[in-house]
Amino acid sequence: MLNSSGYIFRETINSMKRNPWLSLASVVTVMVSLVILGYSIFFLANAANMAKSFESELEIGAFVQIEYTPEEVQDLKSQIEQMPGVESVTLVTKEQALEEFGKTIGGSQGNIVSDVGGTNPFPDKLTVKVTDPQNVKALASSLESNPGLYKVRYGQDFVDQLLKFTQWLRWIGFGVVAAFGVAAVVLISINVKMNVFSRRREIQIMKLVGASNSFIRWPFLIEGLALGLAGGTLAAVIVGLGYNWITVYVQSTLTFLPVVQNELLFRQVSIGLLLGGMVMGALGSLFSLQKFLRA
Amino acid sequence: MIQLTNVSKIYLNGARALVDVNLKIGKGSFVFLVGPSGAGKSTLIKLLYREETPTRGQVQINSKNLVRMKDREVPYLRRNIGVIFQDFKLLPNKTVFENVAFALEVIGVAKSEVRNRTLATLELVGLKAKETAYPHELSGGEQQRVCVARAIINNPALLVADEPTGNLDPDTAWDIMELLYDINKRGTTIVMATHARAIVNKMQKRVIAIENGRVARDEEKGGYGYDA
Repeated sequence: MLNSSGYIFRETINSMKRNPWLSLASVVTVMVSLVILGYSIFFLANAANMAKSFESELEIGAFVQIEYTPEEVQDLKSQIEQMPGVESVTLVTKEQALEEFGKTIGGSQGNIVSDVGGTNPFPDKLTVKVTDPQNVKALASSLESNPGLYKVRYGQDFVDQLLKFTQWLRWIGFGVVAAFGVAAVVLISINVKMNVFSRRREIQIMKLVGASNSFIRWPFLIEGLALGLAGGTLAAVIVGLGYNWITVYVQSTLTFLPVVQNELLFRQVSIGLLLGGMVMGALGSLFSLQKFLRA
Repeated sequence: MIQLTNVSKIYLNGARALVDVNLKIGKGSFVFLVGPSGAGKSTLIKLLYREETPTRGQVQINSKNLVRMKDREVPYLRRNIGVIFQDFKLLPNKTVFENVAFALEVIGVAKSEVRNRTLATLELVGLKAKETAYPHELSGGEQQRVCVARAIINNPALLVADEPTGNLDPDTAWDIMELLYDINKRGTTIVMATHARAIVNKMQKRVIAIENGRVARDEEKGGYGYDA
C-alpha cells in the first residue's frame, strides 16, 4: 500500500477538482449540521448548568391561612425555624405584600383596598431558606401538611419547566442535526458517485488488470473522508469562535447568567465535531461504493 | 490449463449464450474461437477472466475453480490473465508509457520496477519510440500494441483476446498476429475470438467453432470453415 499512497493522494485531489461546487456543497452541509450540533451541545450544557444553579438557590414560599392572627403567624414562623434543614425564615406580611403590589401598579394603599373589595386579599408569606437544596422537596412536602399553611410553592416548578424545555430542545436539536446529517451524507455520496462515474473507464481497466477492490475504493473513501473532515473542521472553528464570542458578550451584559466555560467540554466537542464530519464522509462514500465495485 | 465442464450461461433476459459446453485447452496452446456473431464467443471469453460466471457448470483455470472463487480473489486471478479488446480500452489522458505502467501501478509494484518493466514491454511490442505519445496520436495498430503491452506486462500465463484485429486493416492485423504468435512462442496460452477468416486459415491452429451456444466443431490445425 506504501507504493500506492502517492497515487491515492493524487486521485483524491483530482476528483475534488472535478466537481468543485458539489464538493463545496458537501462540505457546507456537513458544516451546518455539525455547527447546529455543536451549539446545541453548548446550549444544553448551559441549560443544565443554569438549572443546577437555580436549584442551589432554592427557597420555599409558604402562604399562611388568611384568618391567622399576627401572633399565630409569629408562632408558625418560629415553629418552622425549629425544623431540621431550615436555615432562616423571613416573614412578608399581608400589609407588606399589598404595599409591594401597590408600588408595582402605582397607586395609594387605601385606594387599592377599596378597589379590591375593602379587604386585603394577600396572605402572609413565609420565605424559607434551606441549608441543603437536596432537602427542598422533602421540606416542602412536610410544610404542605402543616395546617397553618394553605399553599407551599418552591422553585422546583421553574426547574422542572426548564428541564422539560431542555428535553424538548434536545429532541428538536437531534431532529435538525439528523436531517442535516442525512443531507450531508447524501451529498457526499452523490459527489463520490459522480467521481466514480467520471472515472469508470479507469476503474474498468483497474479491475481488468487485477487491482484489488480496496485499492480501487481507497481514493473514493479518502475523498469522502476529506470532505467530511473539512466540514467538521470548519464547524469546530465556527462553534469555538462563536461560543467564545457569545460567552464574552453574555458575561459583560447579563452578568447574573452563569456561563459554562469548560476546557474539557470544549475539547471534547471539537474532537466530536471532527469525528462526526469524518463519519458522515465515510458513510457517504460507503453508500455510493457499496453497490458499485463488486468485482 | 483451461477446463470447462457442462457450462451453460443464460443471461437475466433469458438469452441462452452457452449451452452445455465442454472444453479442455492445454498449456501453451493457441486457440481460435470462431462462429457467427452472437453465437457465444464473447461470453466464453468473459467466463475465462471471470467477468461473467456460468449459470451451470464449472470453469477451471490452472485447477482454480472460477465459479466458487470469492470476489476478493478475482483480482489475483486477473493478474495472471491478460485481456485484449477490439476497442483497445486505453485511457485517453495518459501517455503510452502511463497506460502500460498503469497495470503495474494499480497492483502496487514499486516505482523503479514499474519503469524498467514498462520500457522492456514497450520494446517487445515495438513501441519504445512512442513512449510519450497519447493514444489519439497513434494509429489503430499502434493502439492495439499498447493494449497488448498492458495485457502481457505481468507475464500472464493466459492471454484472452476478443476480436483483437476487428478494427484493423489486414496488414496491421497481421502485425498484431505476429506479435501474438511471438508471445505464444514464449509459453503464454492464447485464446482468441475472431472473424478474421484469412488469419485463421493461414495460422493452422486449433479452431473451436461455436454456434447457438454449443461447440459445433473442434479441430487441431483447423480452418475458419465459414463462407465469407
